[in-house]
Amino acid sequence: MIKVIVDMDKCQHYGQCVYEAPNIFKLNEEDKLEYLATADDSELGNIQAAVDICPMQAIQLIKE
Amino acid sequence: MGGLRTAESLRRTGFEGEITLLGAESEFPYNRPPLSKEYLLNPETKIHFNLNHDTLQSEFVLGDAAVRANLKEQTVSTEQGKTFTFDYLVAATGLRSRSLKFENNLLTKRFSLRTMSDTEKLRTAISSGMKVAILGAGFIGCELAATLTKLGCSVHVIAPEAIPLALALGEDFARVIQRNHEAQGVTFHMNTSVKDLIGEDDIRGVLLGDGTTIDCDILIEAVGSLTNVEWLADNNLDLSNGLLLDHALHAVTPEGSLTHVYGVGDIARFPYAHRQLPARRIEHWNIPIEMAKRVAKDICFQEGLDVADYSPTEVFRPLASFWSDQFDMHILSYGELHLATSTKLLDGDFDGEFVVGYYRDDELVGVAGLGMRGVLNTYRAEISI
Repeated sequence: MIKVIVDMDKCQHYGQCVYEAPNIFKLNEEDKLEYLATADDSELGNIQAAVDICPMQAIQLIKE
Repeated sequence: MGGLRTAESLRRTGFEGEITLLGAESEFPYNRPPLSKEYLLNPETKIHFNLNHDTLQSEFVLGDAAVRANLKEQTVSTEQGKTFTFDYLVAATGLRSRSLKFENNLLTKRFSLRTMSDTEKLRTAISSGMKVAILGAGFIGCELAATLTKLGCSVHVIAPEAIPLALALGEDFARVIQRNHEAQGVTFHMNTSVKDLIGEDDIRGVLLGDGTTIDCDILIEAVGSLTNVEWLADNNLDLSNGLLLDHALHAVTPEGSLTHVYGVGDIARFPYAHRQLPARRIEHWNIPIEMAKRVAKDICFQEGLDVADYSPTEVFRPLASFWSDQFDMHILSYGELHLATSTKLLDGDFDGEFVVGYYRDDELVGVAGLGMRGVLNTYRAEISI
């Protein structure tokens, strides 16, 4: 399993992560970020890409 | 950042050879966008990238700039006299701030902003109530204007164009930014430039082209940058504007591409995949990340590793993206707005949130917006570069 943590104080809801890992991140109707806190290992590459691309460097990934 | 992302991508793609990251700055890789914003406001802001040394398995040689490369002999030598040999070289040396020369070329109380140490020096020099003159109304100039206003400074921005950020975003968008800044207390002096500095030891003001003077306690130059490519000289490369590359991001010489030499990031001048236009550099934050992935695949492919779905002839067609935070404005853009010959308001209105489309003839080459992320993102797939 992968644990996903987003620092919502840092997040500016740019939504770049949504394109890298669409199964994990989305912008809701108010353009605010929503995400799944845990993910399957098959999402590792996508979540890693989301971590890298986040303009605010607000996403953390923990492998469990 | 370009170097770090390349090393990470290499490991993720299966590269098992030695990796050395050679950096001119003594800091481990850090994120530059906060330098004009959060890090200037608060020295506690964490700006270094998270490093996982276990998976990275790379040697960092910091605080020692590359001064010469011999691409035939495959060596790089440094300021401190070290020499490194390589099988592959990735040039990701980025930019440095440009500085202007004046007749009264005072050097104290004069700043630029590109590195952590630049921000630290500026933070130490400023205090609430100070008068700050910023030369240049690009992203760094405007972001600094916002941050320094928040810190209680009285900010004057001086630039030769008519509207701040108009070159980057077009006039309609740029007018909104100017209005917002002015409402927060920033003063713009547009269509003018600084003719000379006033003061003897410390700066006291600037003299503008029209003869008026503006008092200031400090001066910040945000007037663009130069590419750090001098160390690559004498290798028959095209260094006229960064480092010229081919579609696979290999360095180009008149005798053909060097398949063991790559460029990544701000210095990388790379060709369009489908447009008959000269190769360009893109100084946007996501570009080194995209280039790093591509370079890592190409190196692993050359090393005979199994790289899923990769072919060296594959076109490289990254979607550039940038963002900027100024006061309560959060600007986001996709594409290459500089290609546009016209713009159109796609949604919202200029008094609130909005999305602007940038067109070259009838093709959408970029979008940019203030807020309205959901709408903005729906246009992303339509951009054709």
